[in-house]
Amino acid sequence: MAVTVEAVRPGGGLVTARPRAGSATARRLGRWAAIYVPVVVASTFVTFLLGSLSNANPAASVLGDNATPQDIVRINHVLGLDQPLLVQYGRWVSRALQGDLGVSYFTQIPVSTSIGQRLPVDLSLAVLAISLALLVGGATGALAAVRSGSWIDRGVTWVCSAGSTVPAFVVGIGLVVVFSVTFKLLPSSGYVGLTDDPVGWLEHIALPAVALSIEPGIWVARQLRTALVDVLDQNYVTGAVVRGLSGRRILFVHALRNAAGPAITVLGYYVPVIIGGTVVTETVFSLPGLGQLVLNSATSRDVPVVQGILLVTSALVIASNLFVNAALGWLRPGVNR
Amino acid sequence: MKIIRRALRLRSTRVALGLLTVIAFLAAFGSATAPYDPVHQDVAHLLAGPSGGHWLGTDYLGRDVLSRLMAGTRLSVLSALEAVVVGLAIGATTGLASVFLGRTFDYLSNRVNDTLMTLPTIVFAVAVTAVLGNRLVQAMFAVGVLLAPMFFRVTRAATLQYAQAQYVEVADLLGASRAHVIRVHVLRKVMPTVAVTAASAAAAALLTVSSLTFLGIGVVPPAPTWGGVLSSDLAYLSLAPWAPIAPAAMIMITVGALNTLADSIRDSSRADLDAVPALSTITDVNSEYGHAYGTPHADHPAA
Repeated sequence: MAVTVEAVRPGGGLVTARPRAGSATARRLGRWAAIYVPVVVASTFVTFLLGSLSNANPAASVLGDNATPQDIVRINHVLGLDQPLLVQYGRWVSRALQGDLGVSYFTQIPVSTSIGQRLPVDLSLAVLAISLALLVGGATGALAAVRSGSWIDRGVTWVCSAGSTVPAFVVGIGLVVVFSVTFKLLPSSGYVGLTDDPVGWLEHIALPAVALSIEPGIWVARQLRTALVDVLDQNYVTGAVVRGLSGRRILFVHALRNAAGPAITVLGYYVPVIIGGTVVTETVFSLPGLGQLVLNSATSRDVPVVQGILLVTSALVIASNLFVNAALGWLRPGVNR
Repeated sequence: MKIIRRALRLRSTRVALGLLTVIAFLAAFGSATAPYDPVHQDVAHLLAGPSGGHWLGTDYLGRDVLSRLMAGTRLSVLSALEAVVVGLAIGATTGLASVFLGRTFDYLSNRVNDTLMTLPTIVFAVAVTAVLGNRLVQAMFAVGVLLAPMFFRVTRAATLQYAQAQYVEVADLLGASRAHVIRVHVLRKVMPTVAVTAASAAAAALLTVSSLTFLGIGVVPPAPTWGGVLSSDLAYLSLAPWAPIAPAAMIMITVGALNTLADSIRDSSRADLDAVPALSTITDVNSEYGHAYGTPHADHPAA
């Protein structure tokens, strides 16, 4: 995806004095609430609606084939399905907030239990992939910017363009061919818990994490390169050079902090894509995560499980957006006032 | 028109268009021109390597891989197009409307847009198939809805920029109707931006459709798709480690051609318009929230 960010925010200046705490913080919180509260309400409502839109008839599936119409009416009343839609939504949200996401139509296992078992797999995969993307992508982008115009820069640009055409699962298949099939260095499937066996965990999670990190890594590299080239051209960098500061100090203390914004913003924007990529990457490496669960539940039309997973993943996206905003505020304190 | 002519002068544009023409040909006539029946099983040649008879070898059921890729082009390409059309129709119209229909609509459409951006694409598409039925049409409609924010943000930003131009003020003062201003002064200028976004969105949609078909969403087994070929290759990787190369190349070539096209339209239009707003507006988390911009004509009560 050829998304270029040329400026995070209009008028975003240099890192200057920190804003005064107190009213500014309160105002910022108020603005965040005005943005995120409607979003949270709307996205949970979409998730809830998916359940109501489905043709699945919970009463019939609870009672089996011999249900009389009276029984169905009674069960619908017990389940609250005869209430107005908004009342049902309110109930569903308040239960979800207490950790009750319903039970699977087929296994009768509470949805929160199945999600709780599988979420650590996805979280460790996503966190490792994003860290790799930030480290490797960041280093590559910074190198290209510092040597801008050189063959290194052109090479990085070319590799990024080529790399952005490969879906994560194809990278995963390629890694399996090289590291599992040909050299037999790492396992191609399965999962071991981090607390059970840290080395085994790393062995199983390394290839999927690398596969997943390629796409976000490319975005980070591109954004950081573009922003850093601009920043290195600024007067205060020239000033720092004139003052005799070392190149390393200028890059790490002055330039990187001002140039990191677009890369972090774009990473936040692509969190939903990363979560989707986790689902597909899990399938390649047979990891027992949410991906397998959502696929199986979707084919069997197990709506509560699908709803629960959608709810948890969108909550993760919103949480990471908040985190990205906080990180941006910390990087560039002048911007959010 | 000038932009198209300028873009065509670039060699990269011509290469990209050439490749996309081949893909379009395969989408139209791929199953008719395929050398073999894509579901015919040749039990004597299972997992055969490339040869004169089977240029790209055969899969685990002895089906000709080249024929399966050619015949699978239509479903992959049409599904990606479906998502782009849905996203364009929803996103571009609301993006344009958000500038002209007043603050309430602007606020609401922005919040809807933020909401769509919190839904993880593939998970949402899979969830929609659970509810509406396991067909690619449903899944890619969902993907299209989630592509809408891309079009919405870009169109809204470009429209804001051009609607505030001085020549729009002049047109207003001269008594031009709102429809005339939108058609002549805004829409025509916003078009290149939307075209760039459409090409990028098509690339993204194609990556999504290959992921979904790889997962087996929306496809009934013998029917060939690019992602489906990859998924059967994965199961027999130790026997035929070279097999994923061909289907992966089909995806990469198409996505690469679309990205190149997007880049060359952007570069060609940049010289013409002062600056086509960069896609930065997509990723811009904070600046557009609230009512920083308002409606462009708020300062001109006479308009």
